[in-house]
Amino acid sequence: MRIRLLPVWLLVALALGASLIVALPGASYAYQDREHTLTGASLQHPAGTDELGRDRLVRVSAALLLSLAGALAASALTTAAAAAIGALAAFAPRGVAWLVMLVCDAFLALPWLFLLMMVRSALPLQASPAHSAAITFLVLAALGWPACARAVYSGGLGLKRSDWIMQARASGLRGAQLIRQVLPNLRPLLLPQFLVCVPAFVIAEANLGALGLGIGEPLPSWGGMLLELDNSALLFRTQWVYFPVALLILVLLLLEAIPVEA
Amino acid sequence: MSGDPLLRVQLDAGYASRAVLHDVRLELDFGEVLGLVGSSGAGKSTLVLSLLGLLPWRGGCVTGEVRLRGENLLQMPERQLRALRGRAVGFIPQSPMSALNPALSLERHFREAWRAHQRIVGDALKDRMYALLEEVQLPANRDFLGRRPAQISVGQAQRVLIALALLHEPSLLVADEPTSALDPVTQTQITELLRGLNRRHGASLLYVSHDLVSVLGLCHRIAVLDAGTIVENLNVEDLSCARHPATRRLLGTLPVPAEVLLRYRSQSSKKSYASTALG
Repeated sequence: MRIRLLPVWLLVALALGASLIVALPGASYAYQDREHTLTGASLQHPAGTDELGRDRLVRVSAALLLSLAGALAASALTTAAAAAIGALAAFAPRGVAWLVMLVCDAFLALPWLFLLMMVRSALPLQASPAHSAAITFLVLAALGWPACARAVYSGGLGLKRSDWIMQARASGLRGAQLIRQVLPNLRPLLLPQFLVCVPAFVIAEANLGALGLGIGEPLPSWGGMLLELDNSALLFRTQWVYFPVALLILVLLLLEAIPVEA
Repeated sequence: MSGDPLLRVQLDAGYASRAVLHDVRLELDFGEVLGLVGSSGAGKSTLVLSLLGLLPWRGGCVTGEVRLRGENLLQMPERQLRALRGRAVGFIPQSPMSALNPALSLERHFREAWRAHQRIVGDALKDRMYALLEEVQLPANRDFLGRRPAQISVGQAQRVLIALALLHEPSLLVADEPTSALDPVTQTQITELLRGLNRRHGASLLYVSHDLVSVLGLCHRIAVLDAGTIVENLNVEDLSCARHPATRRLLGTLPVPAEVLLRYRSQSSKKSYASTALG
Protein backbone atom coordinates (compact mmCIF):
# COMPACT_ATOMS: atom_id res chain seq x y z
CA MET A 1 0.00 0.00 0.00
CA ARG A 2 1.53 3.24 -1.09
CA ILE A 3 1.01 6.42 0.87
CA ARG A 4 0.08 8.24 -2.35
CA LEU A 5 -3.06 6.18 -2.61
CA LEU A 6 -4.11 6.87 0.97
CA PRO A 7 -7.16 8.96 -0.06
CA VAL A 8 -8.41 6.04 -2.18
CA TRP A 9 -8.11 3.62 0.73
CA LEU A 10 -9.82 6.05 3.11
CA LEU A 11 -12.69 6.43 0.64
CA VAL A 12 -12.98 2.67 0.27
CA ALA A 13 -13.03 2.36 4.08
CA LEU A 14 -15.75 5.02 4.32
CA ALA A 15 -17.84 3.30 1.67
CA LEU A 16 -17.42 -0.09 3.38
CA GLY A 17 -18.40 1.39 6.74
CA ALA A 18 -21.43 3.05 5.16
CA SER A 19 -22.47 -0.22 3.50
CA LEU A 20 -22.20 -1.98 6.84
CA ILE A 21 -24.40 0.61 8.55
CA VAL A 22 -27.02 0.49 5.79
CA ALA A 23 -27.00 -3.32 5.79
CA LEU A 24 -27.45 -3.65 9.56
CA PRO A 25 -30.73 -5.37 10.53
CA GLY A 26 -33.31 -2.79 11.45
CA ALA A 27 -31.53 0.04 9.65
CA SER A 28 -33.88 1.94 7.36
CA TYR A 29 -33.35 5.33 5.81
CA ALA A 30 -37.11 5.90 5.56
CA TYR A 31 -38.34 4.67 8.96
CA GLN A 32 -39.75 7.54 11.02
CA ASP A 33 -39.28 7.32 14.79
CA ARG A 34 -42.04 9.77 15.77
CA GLU A 35 -41.03 9.63 19.44
CA HIS A 36 -37.62 11.14 18.74
CA THR A 37 -37.58 13.91 16.15
CA LEU A 38 -34.59 16.18 15.68
CA THR A 39 -32.59 14.71 18.52
CA GLY A 40 -28.87 14.67 19.15
CA ALA A 41 -26.73 11.57 19.51
CA SER A 42 -28.22 8.74 21.55
CA LEU A 43 -27.64 5.01 21.86
CA GLN A 44 -30.52 4.28 19.55
CA HIS A 45 -29.54 6.95 16.98
CA PRO A 46 -25.74 7.49 17.17
CA ALA A 47 -25.95 10.64 15.01
CA GLY A 48 -29.42 11.74 16.05
CA THR A 49 -32.56 12.00 13.95
CA ASP A 50 -33.99 14.53 11.52
CA GLU A 51 -37.26 16.48 11.65
CA LEU A 52 -39.23 13.37 10.74
CA GLY A 53 -37.42 11.14 13.22
CA ARG A 54 -35.34 9.30 10.63
CA ASP A 55 -31.93 8.00 11.72
CA ARG A 56 -29.31 10.48 10.56
CA LEU A 57 -26.40 8.02 10.50
CA VAL A 58 -28.24 5.58 8.24
CA ARG A 59 -29.39 8.39 5.98
CA VAL A 60 -25.91 9.90 5.69
CA SER A 61 -24.44 6.45 4.96
CA ALA A 62 -27.01 5.76 2.27
CA ALA A 63 -26.50 9.23 0.78
CA LEU A 64 -22.74 8.68 0.69
CA LEU A 65 -23.12 5.36 -1.12
CA LEU A 66 -25.71 6.68 -3.53
CA SER A 67 -23.76 9.80 -4.40
CA LEU A 68 -20.43 7.98 -4.79
CA ALA A 69 -21.93 5.21 -6.90
CA GLY A 70 -23.88 7.69 -9.01
CA ALA A 71 -20.95 10.04 -9.48
CA LEU A 72 -18.58 7.18 -10.38
CA ALA A 73 -21.04 5.74 -12.89
CA ALA A 74 -21.82 9.13 -14.41
CA SER A 75 -18.12 9.97 -14.59
CA ALA A 76 -17.30 6.64 -16.26
CA LEU A 77 -20.12 7.21 -18.72
CA THR A 78 -19.13 10.77 -19.55
CA THR A 79 -15.42 9.87 -19.91
CA ALA A 80 -16.22 6.93 -22.18
CA ALA A 81 -18.49 9.11 -24.31
CA ALA A 82 -15.82 11.80 -24.49
CA ALA A 83 -13.16 9.24 -25.47
CA ALA A 84 -15.33 7.77 -28.20
CA ILE A 85 -16.52 11.10 -29.58
CA GLY A 86 -13.13 12.83 -29.33
CA ALA A 87 -11.24 9.94 -30.94
CA LEU A 88 -13.85 9.64 -33.66
CA ALA A 89 -13.64 13.34 -34.45
CA ALA A 90 -9.84 13.25 -34.51
CA PHE A 91 -9.75 10.39 -37.03
CA ALA A 92 -12.80 11.35 -39.08
CA PRO A 93 -12.68 13.61 -42.15
CA ARG A 94 -12.34 17.28 -41.34
CA GLY A 95 -16.01 18.08 -42.03
CA VAL A 96 -17.22 15.50 -39.51
CA ALA A 97 -14.74 16.76 -36.92
CA TRP A 98 -15.99 20.30 -37.39
CA LEU A 99 -19.58 19.18 -36.91
CA VAL A 100 -18.77 17.20 -33.77
CA MET A 101 -16.90 20.12 -32.25
CA LEU A 102 -19.86 22.37 -33.08
CA VAL A 103 -22.13 20.02 -31.11
CA CYS A 104 -19.62 20.16 -28.25
CA ASP A 105 -19.72 23.95 -28.27
CA ALA A 106 -23.50 23.90 -28.32
CA PHE A 107 -23.51 21.62 -25.27
CA LEU A 108 -21.02 23.84 -23.46
CA ALA A 109 -23.18 26.86 -24.22
CA LEU A 110 -26.33 25.26 -22.78
CA PRO A 111 -27.67 26.86 -19.62
CA TRP A 112 -27.49 23.52 -17.83
CA LEU A 113 -29.26 24.52 -14.61
CA PHE A 114 -32.22 25.63 -16.66
CA LEU A 115 -32.04 22.39 -18.63
CA LEU A 116 -32.12 20.38 -15.43
CA MET A 117 -35.18 22.26 -14.20
CA MET A 118 -36.85 21.61 -17.54
CA VAL A 119 -36.08 17.90 -17.43
CA ARG A 120 -37.24 17.61 -13.84
CA SER A 121 -40.43 19.54 -14.46
CA ALA A 122 -41.16 17.42 -17.51
CA LEU A 123 -41.13 14.34 -15.29
CA PRO A 124 -44.44 13.22 -13.85
CA LEU A 125 -44.82 14.27 -10.22
CA GLN A 126 -45.06 10.70 -9.04
CA ALA A 127 -41.72 9.71 -10.62
CA SER A 128 -40.17 7.24 -8.23
CA PRO A 129 -37.18 8.39 -6.13
CA ALA A 130 -34.99 5.78 -7.84
CA HIS A 131 -35.90 7.26 -11.22
CA SER A 132 -35.15 10.75 -10.03
CA ALA A 133 -31.69 9.61 -8.85
CA ALA A 134 -30.94 7.88 -12.16
CA ILE A 135 -32.11 10.89 -14.15
CA THR A 136 -30.09 13.32 -12.06
CA PHE A 137 -26.85 11.44 -12.70
CA LEU A 138 -27.70 10.77 -16.35
CA VAL A 139 -28.24 14.49 -16.95
CA LEU A 140 -24.94 15.24 -15.22
CA ALA A 141 -23.18 12.67 -17.43
CA ALA A 142 -24.85 14.10 -20.52
CA LEU A 143 -23.57 17.57 -19.62
CA GLY A 144 -20.07 16.52 -18.59
CA TRP A 145 -18.64 15.08 -21.81
CA PRO A 146 -18.11 18.05 -24.18
CA ALA A 147 -15.19 19.67 -22.34
CA CYS A 148 -13.47 16.31 -22.03
CA ALA A 149 -14.23 15.42 -25.67
CA ARG A 150 -12.43 18.59 -26.79
CA ALA A 151 -9.34 17.57 -24.84
CA VAL A 152 -9.46 14.06 -26.30
CA TYR A 153 -9.94 15.53 -29.78
CA SER A 154 -6.83 17.69 -29.61
CA GLY A 155 -4.86 14.84 -28.03
CA GLY A 156 -6.08 12.51 -30.78
CA LEU A 157 -5.07 14.99 -33.49
CA GLY A 158 -1.54 14.96 -32.11
CA LEU A 159 -1.49 11.16 -32.12
CA LYS A 160 -2.91 11.06 -35.65
CA ARG A 161 0.15 12.89 -36.96
CA SER A 162 2.57 10.82 -34.89
CA ASP A 163 5.28 8.69 -36.46
CA TRP A 164 3.96 5.46 -35.03
CA ILE A 165 0.54 5.94 -36.58
CA MET A 166 2.27 6.49 -39.93
CA GLN A 167 4.30 3.35 -39.28
CA ALA A 168 1.10 1.44 -38.44
CA ARG A 169 -0.47 2.64 -41.68
CA ALA A 170 2.66 1.61 -43.58
CA SER A 171 2.25 -1.86 -42.05
CA GLY A 172 -1.23 -2.00 -43.54
CA LEU A 173 -3.20 -1.85 -40.28
CA ARG A 174 -6.96 -1.48 -40.66
CA GLY A 175 -8.86 1.59 -39.42
CA ALA A 176 -10.33 -0.26 -36.44
CA GLN A 177 -6.88 -1.53 -35.48
CA LEU A 178 -5.54 2.03 -35.57
CA ILE A 179 -8.27 3.30 -33.23
CA ARG A 180 -7.57 0.43 -30.82
CA GLN A 181 -3.90 1.39 -30.85
CA VAL A 182 -4.72 4.99 -30.08
CA LEU A 183 -6.96 4.36 -27.06
CA PRO A 184 -4.24 3.20 -24.60
CA ASN A 185 -2.31 6.34 -25.48
CA LEU A 186 -5.24 8.47 -24.39
CA ARG A 187 -5.14 6.98 -20.88
CA PRO A 188 -2.99 9.76 -19.39
CA LEU A 189 -5.64 12.16 -20.66
CA LEU A 190 -8.75 10.19 -19.69
CA LEU A 191 -7.83 9.16 -16.15
CA PRO A 192 -7.48 12.74 -14.84
CA GLN A 193 -10.71 13.66 -16.64
CA PHE A 194 -12.48 10.82 -14.90
CA LEU A 195 -11.05 11.74 -11.51
CA VAL A 196 -11.93 15.41 -11.93
CA CYS A 197 -15.51 14.57 -12.88
CA VAL A 198 -16.26 12.48 -9.77
CA PRO A 199 -16.09 15.25 -7.12
CA ALA A 200 -17.64 17.69 -9.58
CA PHE A 201 -20.65 15.40 -9.94
CA VAL A 202 -20.90 14.80 -6.18
CA ILE A 203 -21.04 18.53 -5.53
CA ALA A 204 -23.38 19.11 -8.48
CA GLU A 205 -25.79 16.53 -7.09
CA ALA A 206 -25.59 18.14 -3.65
CA ASN A 207 -26.30 21.58 -5.09
CA LEU A 208 -29.19 20.32 -7.20
CA GLY A 209 -30.64 18.51 -4.18
CA ALA A 210 -30.44 21.68 -2.13
CA LEU A 211 -32.48 23.38 -4.87
CA GLY A 212 -34.98 20.54 -4.73
CA LEU A 213 -34.03 19.39 -8.23
CA GLY A 214 -32.01 16.35 -7.36
CA ILE A 215 -32.84 13.00 -5.90
CA GLY A 216 -36.42 12.75 -4.63
CA GLU A 217 -37.43 11.98 -1.04
CA PRO A 218 -37.48 9.65 0.79
CA LEU A 219 -34.16 8.62 -0.83
CA PRO A 220 -31.44 10.34 1.16
CA SER A 221 -29.07 12.66 -0.66
CA TRP A 222 -26.47 15.22 0.34
CA GLY A 223 -28.64 17.93 -1.13
CA GLY A 224 -31.73 16.88 0.80
CA MET A 225 -29.81 16.86 4.06
CA LEU A 226 -28.18 20.22 3.35
CA LEU A 227 -31.71 21.63 3.11
CA GLU A 228 -31.97 21.22 6.87
CA LEU A 229 -29.28 23.84 7.25
CA ASP A 230 -31.36 26.68 5.80
CA ASN A 231 -33.74 26.55 8.74
CA SER A 232 -31.92 28.49 11.45
CA ALA A 233 -34.45 27.40 14.05
CA LEU A 234 -33.27 23.80 13.66
CA LEU A 235 -29.61 24.75 13.95
CA PHE A 236 -30.05 25.65 17.62
CA ARG A 237 -31.74 22.35 18.49
CA THR A 238 -28.74 20.08 17.87
CA GLN A 239 -25.20 20.36 16.50
CA TRP A 240 -25.70 17.05 14.67
CA VAL A 241 -27.43 18.76 11.72
CA TYR A 242 -23.89 19.78 10.67
CA PHE A 243 -22.82 16.12 10.44
CA PRO A 244 -23.84 15.56 6.77
CA VAL A 245 -22.14 18.70 5.52
CA ALA A 246 -18.96 17.85 7.47
CA LEU A 247 -18.89 14.38 5.94
CA LEU A 248 -19.58 15.77 2.47
CA ILE A 249 -16.61 18.12 2.79
CA LEU A 250 -14.42 15.23 3.95
CA VAL A 251 -15.48 13.05 1.00
CA LEU A 252 -14.85 15.88 -1.45
CA LEU A 253 -11.43 16.54 0.08
CA LEU A 254 -10.52 12.87 -0.28
CA LEU A 255 -11.77 12.77 -3.88
CA GLU A 256 -9.74 15.85 -4.75
CA ALA A 257 -6.67 14.39 -3.04
CA ILE A 258 -6.52 11.30 -5.27
CA PRO A 259 -3.32 11.67 -7.29
CA VAL A 260 -4.37 12.18 -10.92
CA GLU A 261 -1.38 10.36 -12.38
CA ALA A 262 -2.07 7.26 -10.26
CA MET B 1 3.55 -8.87 -67.13
CA SER B 2 7.01 -10.30 -67.60
CA GLY B 3 9.82 -7.93 -68.42
CA ASP B 4 8.49 -5.36 -65.98
CA PRO B 5 10.85 -4.34 -63.23
CA LEU B 6 9.66 -4.84 -59.64
CA LEU B 7 9.10 -1.12 -59.21
CA ARG B 8 8.79 1.61 -61.81
CA VAL B 9 8.11 5.12 -60.63
CA GLN B 10 7.32 8.29 -62.49
CA LEU B 11 5.65 10.88 -60.34
CA ASP B 12 5.10 14.46 -59.27
CA ALA B 13 4.25 15.22 -55.67
CA GLY B 14 3.77 18.13 -53.36
CA TYR B 15 1.76 19.76 -50.65
CA ALA B 16 -1.01 22.28 -50.97
CA SER B 17 1.31 25.27 -50.98
CA ARG B 18 4.33 23.95 -52.89
CA ALA B 19 5.47 21.25 -55.30
CA VAL B 20 8.25 19.07 -53.93
CA LEU B 21 8.97 16.41 -56.55
CA HIS B 22 8.88 16.94 -60.32
CA ASP B 23 9.04 14.08 -62.74
CA VAL B 24 10.91 11.70 -60.47
CA ARG B 25 11.75 8.52 -62.41
CA LEU B 26 13.04 5.38 -60.77
CA GLU B 27 13.31 1.71 -61.52
CA LEU B 28 14.14 -1.10 -59.17
CA ASP B 29 14.78 -4.66 -60.29
CA PHE B 30 14.14 -7.90 -58.43
CA GLY B 31 16.89 -8.49 -55.87
CA GLU B 32 18.43 -5.09 -56.42
CA VAL B 33 19.49 -2.56 -53.80
CA LEU B 34 19.00 1.00 -54.99
CA GLY B 35 20.43 3.83 -52.94
CA LEU B 36 18.52 7.08 -53.10
CA VAL B 37 20.69 9.89 -51.82
CA GLY B 38 20.15 13.57 -51.46
CA SER B 39 20.68 16.31 -48.94
CA SER B 40 18.02 17.26 -46.41
CA GLY B 41 15.03 18.91 -48.00
CA ALA B 42 15.64 17.30 -51.39
CA GLY B 43 12.29 15.48 -51.06
CA LYS B 44 13.44 12.02 -49.96
CA SER B 45 10.80 11.48 -47.29
CA THR B 46 8.08 12.87 -49.54
CA LEU B 47 9.11 10.35 -52.20
CA VAL B 48 8.99 7.47 -49.72
CA LEU B 49 5.51 8.45 -48.51
CA SER B 50 4.36 8.81 -52.13
CA LEU B 51 5.52 5.29 -52.94
CA LEU B 52 3.50 3.86 -50.06
CA GLY B 53 0.45 5.96 -50.91
CA LEU B 54 0.73 7.63 -47.50
CA LEU B 55 1.35 11.20 -48.61
CA PRO B 56 -2.34 12.20 -48.38
CA TRP B 57 -2.16 11.54 -44.59
CA ARG B 58 0.49 14.26 -44.39
CA GLY B 59 -1.67 16.58 -46.47
CA GLY B 60 0.17 15.96 -49.72
CA CYS B 61 -0.87 14.99 -53.23
CA VAL B 62 0.77 12.67 -55.80
CA THR B 63 0.23 12.38 -59.54
CA GLY B 64 1.87 10.03 -62.01
CA GLU B 65 2.41 6.35 -61.47
CA VAL B 66 4.02 3.94 -59.04
CA ARG B 67 3.99 0.54 -60.72
CA LEU B 68 4.66 -2.47 -58.52
CA ARG B 69 4.93 -5.56 -60.73
CA GLY B 70 3.17 -3.56 -63.41
CA GLU B 71 0.22 -2.47 -61.26
CA ASN B 72 -0.25 1.24 -60.66
CA LEU B 73 -0.59 1.81 -56.91
CA LEU B 74 -1.69 5.41 -57.30
CA GLN B 75 -4.90 4.40 -59.06
CA MET B 76 -5.79 1.73 -56.54
CA PRO B 77 -8.63 2.28 -54.07
CA GLU B 78 -7.41 2.70 -50.48
CA ARG B 79 -8.72 -0.74 -49.41
CA GLN B 80 -6.62 -2.50 -52.01
CA LEU B 81 -3.62 -0.34 -51.27
CA ARG B 82 -3.86 -1.11 -47.56
CA ALA B 83 -3.75 -4.81 -48.33
CA LEU B 84 -0.45 -4.27 -50.16
CA ARG B 85 1.21 -2.15 -47.46
CA GLY B 86 3.20 -4.35 -45.15
CA ARG B 87 2.49 -7.44 -47.28
CA ALA B 88 4.02 -6.53 -50.65
CA VAL B 89 5.97 -3.48 -49.49
CA GLY B 90 7.74 -3.34 -46.15
CA PHE B 91 8.70 -0.01 -44.63
CA ILE B 92 11.61 0.75 -42.32
CA PRO B 93 11.28 4.25 -40.84
CA GLN B 94 13.75 6.94 -39.96
CA SER B 95 13.38 7.40 -36.20
CA PRO B 96 12.87 4.00 -34.56
CA MET B 97 11.88 5.32 -31.15
CA SER B 98 8.90 7.36 -32.29
CA ALA B 99 7.82 4.74 -34.84
CA LEU B 100 6.72 2.27 -32.16
CA ASN B 101 3.53 2.82 -30.18
CA PRO B 102 4.72 3.64 -26.64
CA ALA B 103 1.66 2.04 -25.02
CA LEU B 104 1.99 -1.39 -26.62
CA SER B 105 4.34 -4.29 -25.97
CA LEU B 106 6.61 -5.46 -28.77
CA GLU B 107 4.60 -8.67 -29.06
CA ARG B 108 1.43 -6.66 -29.58
CA HIS B 109 3.18 -4.78 -32.41
CA PHE B 110 3.88 -8.08 -34.13
CA ARG B 111 0.39 -9.37 -33.47
CA GLU B 112 -1.34 -6.27 -34.91
CA ALA B 113 0.93 -6.22 -37.97
CA TRP B 114 0.21 -9.93 -38.46
CA ARG B 115 -3.54 -9.50 -38.12
CA ALA B 116 -3.54 -6.73 -40.69
CA HIS B 117 -2.98 -9.39 -43.36
CA GLN B 118 -3.65 -12.80 -41.80
CA ARG B 119 -6.85 -14.21 -40.38
CA ILE B 120 -5.41 -16.79 -38.04
CA VAL B 121 -3.23 -15.75 -35.14
CA GLY B 122 -1.52 -18.71 -33.55
CA ASP B 123 1.59 -20.81 -33.79
CA ALA B 124 2.27 -19.51 -37.30
CA LEU B 125 2.77 -16.00 -35.90
CA LYS B 126 4.80 -17.26 -32.95
CA ASP B 127 7.16 -19.26 -35.17
CA ARG B 128 7.54 -16.38 -37.60
CA MET B 129 8.13 -13.89 -34.77
CA TYR B 130 10.88 -15.93 -33.14
CA ALA B 131 12.51 -16.69 -36.49
CA LEU B 132 12.56 -12.98 -37.32
CA LEU B 133 13.98 -12.00 -33.94
CA GLU B 134 16.81 -14.48 -34.56
CA GLU B 135 17.26 -13.06 -38.02
CA VAL B 136 17.70 -9.49 -36.76
CA GLN B 137 19.84 -10.68 -33.83
CA LEU B 138 17.47 -9.83 -31.01
CA PRO B 139 16.77 -12.04 -27.98
CA ALA B 140 13.98 -14.36 -29.11
CA ASN B 141 12.17 -14.86 -25.82
CA ARG B 142 8.96 -13.87 -24.12
CA ASP B 143 10.63 -11.50 -21.70
CA PHE B 144 11.94 -9.38 -24.56
CA LEU B 145 8.65 -9.47 -26.45
CA GLY B 146 6.80 -8.31 -23.34
CA ARG B 147 8.77 -5.07 -23.19
CA ARG B 148 7.51 -1.66 -24.14
CA PRO B 149 9.36 0.48 -26.69
CA ALA B 150 10.71 2.68 -23.86
CA GLN B 151 12.44 -0.36 -22.35
CA ILE B 152 14.68 -1.14 -25.33
CA SER B 153 17.56 0.73 -26.94
CA VAL B 154 17.32 2.69 -30.19
CA GLY B 155 19.36 0.06 -32.02
CA GLN B 156 17.06 -2.68 -30.74
CA ALA B 157 14.01 -0.64 -31.77
CA GLN B 158 15.37 -0.33 -35.30
CA ARG B 159 15.93 -4.09 -35.40
CA VAL B 160 12.35 -4.65 -34.19
CA LEU B 161 11.11 -2.39 -36.99
CA ILE B 162 13.15 -4.30 -39.55
CA ALA B 163 11.68 -7.54 -38.24
CA LEU B 164 8.20 -6.00 -38.47
CA ALA B 165 8.86 -4.93 -42.05
CA LEU B 166 9.94 -8.48 -42.91
CA LEU B 167 6.93 -10.11 -41.21
CA HIS B 168 4.99 -10.88 -44.39
CA GLU B 169 8.07 -11.41 -46.56
CA PRO B 170 7.45 -8.42 -48.83
CA SER B 171 9.15 -8.40 -52.20
CA LEU B 172 10.13 -4.76 -51.74
CA LEU B 173 11.61 -3.07 -48.68
CA VAL B 174 11.67 0.70 -48.44
CA ALA B 175 14.06 2.06 -45.83
CA ASP B 176 13.86 5.79 -45.09
CA GLU B 177 17.20 6.80 -43.57
CA PRO B 178 17.15 3.79 -41.25
CA THR B 179 20.53 4.57 -39.72
CA SER B 180 20.33 8.33 -39.25
CA ALA B 181 19.21 8.12 -35.60
CA LEU B 182 21.83 5.54 -34.62
CA ASP B 183 25.38 5.67 -33.32
CA PRO B 184 28.17 4.69 -35.78
CA VAL B 185 28.63 1.15 -34.46
CA THR B 186 24.90 0.39 -34.60
CA GLN B 187 24.74 2.05 -38.02
CA THR B 188 27.28 -0.41 -39.35
CA GLN B 189 25.44 -3.34 -37.76
CA ILE B 190 22.13 -2.31 -39.31
CA THR B 191 23.71 -1.81 -42.74
CA GLU B 192 25.30 -5.26 -42.43
CA LEU B 193 21.94 -6.70 -41.46
CA LEU B 194 20.20 -5.18 -44.48
CA ARG B 195 22.96 -6.40 -46.77
CA GLY B 196 22.60 -9.90 -45.33
CA LEU B 197 18.84 -9.84 -45.88
CA ASN B 198 19.31 -8.87 -49.49
CA ARG B 199 21.91 -11.60 -50.02
CA ARG B 200 20.05 -14.37 -48.20
CA HIS B 201 16.47 -13.68 -49.27
CA GLY B 202 16.99 -11.65 -52.43
CA ALA B 203 14.81 -8.89 -50.99
CA SER B 204 14.79 -5.79 -53.15
CA LEU B 205 15.63 -2.71 -51.18
CA LEU B 206 15.14 0.97 -51.77
CA TYR B 207 17.61 2.50 -49.37
CA VAL B 208 17.04 6.20 -48.81
CA SER B 209 19.82 8.07 -47.09
CA HIS B 210 21.96 11.17 -46.96
CA ASP B 211 24.87 9.10 -45.75
CA LEU B 212 26.90 8.16 -48.82
CA VAL B 213 29.23 5.89 -46.85
CA SER B 214 26.45 3.51 -45.86
CA VAL B 215 25.01 3.68 -49.37
CA LEU B 216 28.34 2.68 -50.87
CA GLY B 217 28.56 -0.18 -48.41
CA LEU B 218 25.17 -1.54 -49.35
CA CYS B 219 23.80 -0.57 -52.76
CA HIS B 220 24.23 -1.82 -56.30
CA ARG B 221 22.95 1.32 -57.92
CA ILE B 222 22.58 4.88 -56.79
CA ALA B 223 20.14 7.64 -57.66
CA VAL B 224 20.75 11.21 -56.60
CA LEU B 225 17.77 13.35 -55.71
CA ASP B 226 18.34 17.08 -55.82
CA ALA B 227 15.74 19.84 -55.56
CA GLY B 228 12.92 17.41 -56.19
CA THR B 229 14.20 15.57 -59.19
CA ILE B 230 16.57 12.68 -59.95
CA VAL B 231 19.75 14.18 -61.34
CA GLU B 232 21.96 11.11 -61.50
CA ASN B 233 21.34 7.38 -61.80
CA LEU B 234 24.30 5.03 -62.10
CA ASN B 235 25.97 1.90 -60.81
CA VAL B 236 28.06 2.46 -57.70
CA GLU B 237 31.16 1.28 -59.59
CA ASP B 238 30.75 4.18 -62.02
CA LEU B 239 30.35 6.76 -59.29
CA SER B 240 33.62 8.47 -60.14
CA CYS B 241 32.19 9.33 -63.57
CA ALA B 242 29.36 11.34 -62.00
CA ARG B 243 29.01 14.81 -63.50
CA HIS B 244 26.18 16.56 -61.72
CA PRO B 245 27.25 19.18 -59.15
CA ALA B 246 24.92 17.67 -56.49
CA THR B 247 26.61 14.29 -56.87
CA ARG B 248 30.07 15.86 -56.83
CA ARG B 249 29.08 17.71 -53.66
CA LEU B 250 28.02 14.45 -52.04
CA LEU B 251 31.22 12.75 -53.15
CA GLY B 252 33.15 15.63 -51.64
CA THR B 253 31.80 14.75 -48.21
CA LEU B 254 33.37 11.29 -48.27
CA PRO B 255 36.34 10.90 -45.92
CA VAL B 256 38.16 8.73 -48.51
CA PRO B 257 37.61 8.35 -52.28
CA ALA B 258 34.61 6.23 -53.27
CA GLU B 259 36.87 3.62 -54.93
CA VAL B 260 38.56 2.87 -51.63
CA LEU B 261 35.19 2.31 -49.91
CA LEU B 262 34.03 0.04 -52.73
CA ARG B 263 37.22 -1.99 -52.59
CA TYR B 264 36.80 -2.32 -48.84
CA ARG B 265 33.20 -3.47 -49.38
CA SER B 266 34.10 -6.19 -51.83
CA GLN B 267 36.74 -7.43 -49.41
CA SER B 268 34.49 -7.36 -46.36
CA SER B 269 31.61 -9.04 -48.18
CA LYS B 270 34.00 -11.80 -49.30
CA LYS B 271 35.16 -12.10 -45.72
CA SER B 272 31.64 -12.29 -44.31
CA TYR B 273 30.65 -14.66 -47.10
CA ALA B 274 33.58 -16.86 -46.11
CA SER B 275 32.59 -16.73 -42.46
CA THR B 276 28.98 -17.68 -43.20
CA ALA B 277 30.21 -20.48 -45.47
CA LEU B 278 32.46 -21.76 -42.72
CA GLY B 279 29.78 -21.32 -40.03
